[in-house]
Amino acid sequence: MKDGKALTFSGSLSRRTLMVGAAAGAATLAMPKVLRAADKPTLVTSIRSLSNPYHAVWKTGAEAYAKWAGLEHVTLVSEGNSEKGIADIKAMLAKTGGNMVLNSDPNDTPDARPIVEACAKAGAYVVTQWNKPADLHPKDFNPNYVSHIEFDGIASGKTIAEILFKAIGGKGGIVALGGLISTTAAIERKKGLDAALAANPDIKLLDFQVANWKSTEAFDLMGNLLTRFGDDIKGIWAANDDMGSGALEALRAENLAGKVPIVGVDGIKTAVDAVRTGEFACTVTSDPFWQGGMGLAIGYNAKIGKFDPAKEPPEHREFYGKAVLISHDNVEEYYKTNVESKPEMDWNDLWGRVTGAIRA
Amino acid sequence: MTIDTEPLKSVSDIERTTLMTFLPGRIAGMLGGRRWRSLAPLAVLVVLCVLITIANPNFIELRNLVRLANSAAVPLTLAMGLTFIILMGSIDLSVEGTLSVAAMVVVLLAANDSNGNDYGWWAVLAAIASGTIMGLASGLVQTMLRIPSFMATLGMWFIGLGLSVYMLGGSAIRLNDASIRDLALYRFLGLPLAVWVALGAFVLAAIIQYHTRLGRHILAIGGDEDVTKLSGVNVVRVRIAAFALAGFFFGIAGVLAAAQLGQSHAVIGDGRLFAAVTAVVVGGTALTGGEGGVVNTAVGVLIVTVLANGMILLGISPYIQQTVQGLMIIAAVALSLDRARLKIVK
Repeated sequence: MKDGKALTFSGSLSRRTLMVGAAAGAATLAMPKVLRAADKPTLVTSIRSLSNPYHAVWKTGAEAYAKWAGLEHVTLVSEGNSEKGIADIKAMLAKTGGNMVLNSDPNDTPDARPIVEACAKAGAYVVTQWNKPADLHPKDFNPNYVSHIEFDGIASGKTIAEILFKAIGGKGGIVALGGLISTTAAIERKKGLDAALAANPDIKLLDFQVANWKSTEAFDLMGNLLTRFGDDIKGIWAANDDMGSGALEALRAENLAGKVPIVGVDGIKTAVDAVRTGEFACTVTSDPFWQGGMGLAIGYNAKIGKFDPAKEPPEHREFYGKAVLISHDNVEEYYKTNVESKPEMDWNDLWGRVTGAIRA
Repeated sequence: MTIDTEPLKSVSDIERTTLMTFLPGRIAGMLGGRRWRSLAPLAVLVVLCVLITIANPNFIELRNLVRLANSAAVPLTLAMGLTFIILMGSIDLSVEGTLSVAAMVVVLLAANDSNGNDYGWWAVLAAIASGTIMGLASGLVQTMLRIPSFMATLGMWFIGLGLSVYMLGGSAIRLNDASIRDLALYRFLGLPLAVWVALGAFVLAAIIQYHTRLGRHILAIGGDEDVTKLSGVNVVRVRIAAFALAGFFFGIAGVLAAAQLGQSHAVIGDGRLFAAVTAVVVGGTALTGGEGGVVNTAVGVLIVTVLANGMILLGISPYIQQTVQGLMIIAAVALSLDRARLKIVK
């Protein structure tokens, strides 16, 4: 009826058009409710791009869960464009009549609010990861906003720093390659590095430089750092693996690969390979396969009433997931289960990787 | 009521030349005008090198010069191709797309960790060929469909990027062919092979520009396309050839980038477009076309590379590096372009 009303107000319309419009409006409103109530919900993944390894694995995890649960799955890609990301989600909400579960990595922090509001309005269930404004809380949108998942960047930055310090014998100079200056992940991981440095006075941070998450920039930067500090560089801390691998190739060009240990974050395949050969000391991953699949699993289980989000404790609504450390000790096993084959997940273990509520 | 506007106009002309180009104009005037100006980029480079050396003598260590050459290899090869396009007064935005296609082709056809191909150096040839084809397509789109080069190559950029995202499945694929990796790892006379390839590209570009008809026609089109056409030059053919030539250089750069990083992912070209355009312009090639050339560009590439290297050696905070870079670019262009002759600044 709403559609019919809108059409009458729009003025110059023939009566027939009005009737057709009203009928069509009534039909779209009435039909899906009858038809789709029996339908299984659609699983929807909304991510930034498919051109980076991280989100490519995310999508694999989402598809693995959808196959396991026997549900239809759609991937939306924002290509780094917030408007497109939100518009695509709204289009999916309209198409499914709200009968969907969304697992979203919002392109930018402010995007989470319109996404959550649109989902709540349409009756869809949503899980967000990484980015949300501090004043947006799942508990304010019961039951539709099920959970928000992040990974503790400070802990990651600190863990890899400590492993690096151990690898170089607890003393000497290191250089650090940071991510894009304004991003939360870059800021937090650097905080973790700073905390580890404060606890290890024998380690000297020779220089902190920014390579904007990119291997190409890290490659050039590393060459320049080698000129400035030469053999004083005993280890390299990189805020992500891609930069770490760029630094590794710069070392290789100088016959230093494997002699100067590198640590990174993300667990991309290049880094896992490098951990196996001993060129990387470790990498830590948020496990995008788990993020892609479990985000949907949490939303879907809330949707079908397996649990009531309103009754869940706070650390199930906004939590840090458990990062997986890949070092010399477990790399062979990780390689077998995660790289050579698709990992086996227990998709019923919804809260197994909760490490605690997100710091306010 | 006829007001004589002539004096007013000339006053504003004088104002422009004296105020806007006061300092560089004076220096140029004292030292012989245009001739000095054409050497300005070289002077900037020398001054930069001297200043950095004073601050940190490590700069002129042989090891650092080798590293400088190594990090200049890819930008130099790219900028060689781009120079021809800018000389025509056009622009080629497909740099990153074409580079990523070439890097994708070489990695997928040579030994890699994703499929069973192992075509060795045929992969390199295929990569360079695919770069050339991308350039050829840009040229055809521009001339046959009569679409401005800005839009035509913007389209090719996204087509190339999309193609490599699709073929690489979004992930990074390792290049395992040892002989291709030797481009970055093997050294001849102390310099990595990639540097020799880049030097080869430079010599080739210089020969094309200064000793072939194509090179002279490209310069002529940039100077005045209508006059060139009236002189009987087949402008369409020259344009297509120039874009294909640019694609050829981008293809080589793609192979070098993949060899240096030992892998290829779709975003391997990120940020290369601006670096290349900056190098070309800082070297003194005018964006309006018809002025400058590959030798200027080589100096421009060195300025940009030395600057990046120098900022690390001087320990300039990463938080202000971009600002310094911006200031240096404006300074270099202010010195090298003869702005007094520009009637309109767009």
